[in-house]
Amino acid sequence: MTTATQFERQDTEVATDRPAKSGALLLLESIEAQGVDTIFGYPGGAIMPVYDVLPRTSLRHILCRHEQGCGMAAIGYARATGRVGTALATSGPGATNLVTAIADAYLDSVPVVFITGQVPSNLMGTDAFQEVDIIGITMPIVKHSYIARDPADIPGMVAEAYFIAAEGRPGPVLIDLPKDVANALTTERHRWRPYPKVKPDMGTSKDIKAAEQLMRDAKKPLFYIGGGIAQGDGVAELRELVERTDIPVVSTLKGLGSLPSDHPQYLGMLGMHGLKAANYAVQECDLLIVAGARFDDRATGKLDTFAPHAKVIHMDIDIAELGKLRRVNVGLDGSLKKNLAALNPFGGDGKAPNIDEWRTLCYGRRTEYEWDYNAPGQFVYAPKLLHDLSRRAPDSAIFTCDVGQHQMWVAQHCYFDDPKDHITSGGLGTMGFGLPAGLGAKLGAPERTVITVSGDGSIMMNIQELATLNRYNIPLKIVLLDNSVLGMVRQWQEVFFDKNYSETILDDNPDFAVLARAFQIDAFTVNTRDEVDAGIDRLLSTEGPVLMHVKIDPNENVWPLVPPGRSNADMMER
Amino acid sequence: MTELQRDKTFEPSGVSGKLKVVLHDVSGTLIRALGTIERRGYDYRDVHCTQRVDGDFDLLVHVEDTGGPSDLDILCKQLERLYNVVSAERVGRRKHAEHWQ
Repeated sequence: MTTATQFERQDTEVATDRPAKSGALLLLESIEAQGVDTIFGYPGGAIMPVYDVLPRTSLRHILCRHEQGCGMAAIGYARATGRVGTALATSGPGATNLVTAIADAYLDSVPVVFITGQVPSNLMGTDAFQEVDIIGITMPIVKHSYIARDPADIPGMVAEAYFIAAEGRPGPVLIDLPKDVANALTTERHRWRPYPKVKPDMGTSKDIKAAEQLMRDAKKPLFYIGGGIAQGDGVAELRELVERTDIPVVSTLKGLGSLPSDHPQYLGMLGMHGLKAANYAVQECDLLIVAGARFDDRATGKLDTFAPHAKVIHMDIDIAELGKLRRVNVGLDGSLKKNLAALNPFGGDGKAPNIDEWRTLCYGRRTEYEWDYNAPGQFVYAPKLLHDLSRRAPDSAIFTCDVGQHQMWVAQHCYFDDPKDHITSGGLGTMGFGLPAGLGAKLGAPERTVITVSGDGSIMMNIQELATLNRYNIPLKIVLLDNSVLGMVRQWQEVFFDKNYSETILDDNPDFAVLARAFQIDAFTVNTRDEVDAGIDRLLSTEGPVLMHVKIDPNENVWPLVPPGRSNADMMER
Repeated sequence: MTELQRDKTFEPSGVSGKLKVVLHDVSGTLIRALGTIERRGYDYRDVHCTQRVDGDFDLLVHVEDTGGPSDLDILCKQLERLYNVVSAERVGRRKHAEHWQ
C-alpha cells in the first residue's frame, strides 16, 4: 500500500509568492487555525523544531513536568471545555509516556489530538536513539493516527485530525512528526478531500416507533444513562424526556450529573459500588432504556444476570456498541440528542401511565436507602467530608478525582447537576489522573472552582504536577484523602483475599503538606473530625493553589460492594 | 487453564465465518483491520488482499472466535468504525440483518 498522503491529498496548491514555512510552523499554525489556544507539552530532541517556532504563535503552552501529565491535563481541559485537547511530546520515551493518557482518552471517548516528535525519516526503522514505533504501539487505543511524510500535508492532516477527534464518538488522534519533516520548508499545500464517511443522523422512524411501543408496553421501565449523554449534548433532551414520562433513572459513573443528584426521579449510580435503590431497580425492571452507556462490566456485574427480566432499547452514537454485550430489542444509532427528542411514546401530558406502583417502589427505596453519615469512630469520615464539601462549594464547581476508594466516594456522595462537573477516569481507571486533569480543567474553565480529590496512592503517581500548579499559579484546590494504604486494593484483600495485605501498606508516606509546601503550594493537614469545617473553609477561600491533607481511617471501606463475577443483586454491606 | 480459573462465559463459541472488508489504499489500514479482528476476540486465517480497479483493496479473511462475546455482525461494525475502512460484511451467508432483531 502507498502512504496516507498519496491517497488523502487531492491536488497541490503551489504559491510562488508565499514565504516558505517549515513543517513545524505549519503544524502550529494549523493548530491555531482550529481555534486552539492552549496546548500541554514537554520538549525534547525530536520535537525541538516545533518548540523553536512556538514563540512565533499565539498558542499558550503549558509545560507539565511529565508527558503523562501533559496528556491527562489535555484530557481535563477537553472534558471541562467540550473542545478538543492538545498534547505535545517528543519521540521515544516522550511518546511512550503519553500512552496511558491516550488509552484513557480512548476508553472515556475524550477528543484529544496527541502530537509526537519522531526521529528523521531516514532513521525510522533503524532503532535510532529515542525511536519507537508510536503509531504501532498506540494503534489499538487511537481513533486514528498519522505519520506526517510531507510538510505540505500538515495543514490538511491537522484539520482532519481535529475533525476526527471530535466527530461522532469522540476519541484520541495521534500525529507523529519526523524531525526532517518538521524542519523541511515548503510553499506547497496539499488539499485534502473531505472525509467521506457518512454516519446516520438518528434512528429511523420505524425504530423510533418500535421503541415507543416498548415504552408503552412496559410496566417497570427504567432509564440507564451514561457518559454519552454529555458527549452527545443531550442533557436537556434527556431531562425533558425523563420528566415528561416520570420514569425512574439510574446512571453510570460517567453519566453522573446528567440528572441532578437530588432529582426526585434519580435513583443513583448502578453497579459494583452502586446504590441499592439503583441496583434493585435494574434487577427488577422490565424495560431498560439505555442512553449513551455501554454495559461496562463495572456497571453490570455478571452480565447474564443483569436486568434479567428486561427488554432493551439502546441509544448510542456508536452503532458498534448496539448489541455488543447485551442483545437489544430496539437499537437507535446516531445522535442521542435527536433520538431523545424524537421519543414521545405516551401523548397527552407525556407521562407514562400505569406505572405508579413501580414509581412508588423505586422512589420509596431511594428514601429507604439514603446514606447514613453518622459513622462510628474518631477518624474523619471521608463520605461525610465529601458530602459537605460538594454542598458548600459553588454549584458550578468541577470535581476531578483519581482512582480508588475516594473515586467511588466522590461518585456516591458529591452533588452534581451537570455531567461536566465530574471528571474521572472511568474506563481505564488511571491512578495519577486527578491532579493533571484538574489543572487542565482549571485552565479550560478559569471562572469555575475546580477541586481535585485524590488518595495518597494516586497522587504520588503524578505528584510532579504540583510544580506546574506553582509555575502558572493555577488555583486548583486539592483534597488528599490519606489512609496510608492502597485503599481499594486493601479492601479487596480484606474481603476476598483473607486479609492478606500484600504490598498495600503505605505507612512510609511523606508528609504531604510539607511536600506540597516544598513546591510552594499552600498546604495544611486535617487530622480530626472537628477540624473538617474549618479545613473546608480554608480550602474554598484560598485564592491560589492549595492542598488539604486529610488523615482518614485505613479500615474504612466503600459500600455497597458487588463481588466480582456476581449479580448486582448480591450487594455486600458494611 | 483449569476449569476453576476459566470463566465459561468466555470459552470459544464456535463462531466463524468469512468477511469481506473494503479498504482505502492508505498506509496502516490493513494492519488496523487485522489488529481489530484479533483484539475483538477472533483468530484470522486465509487472508487475501487484492486491489480493485478503483484503487481500493478487497480483504477477504476467514475468522474464528477465541472466546468472549462473539457476533460477526458486531465485528463488522467495529471494522467499519475504522477510518479508511469503506465497508465490512459477512460473505458466504446471508447479509447481516439488523443485528438487534
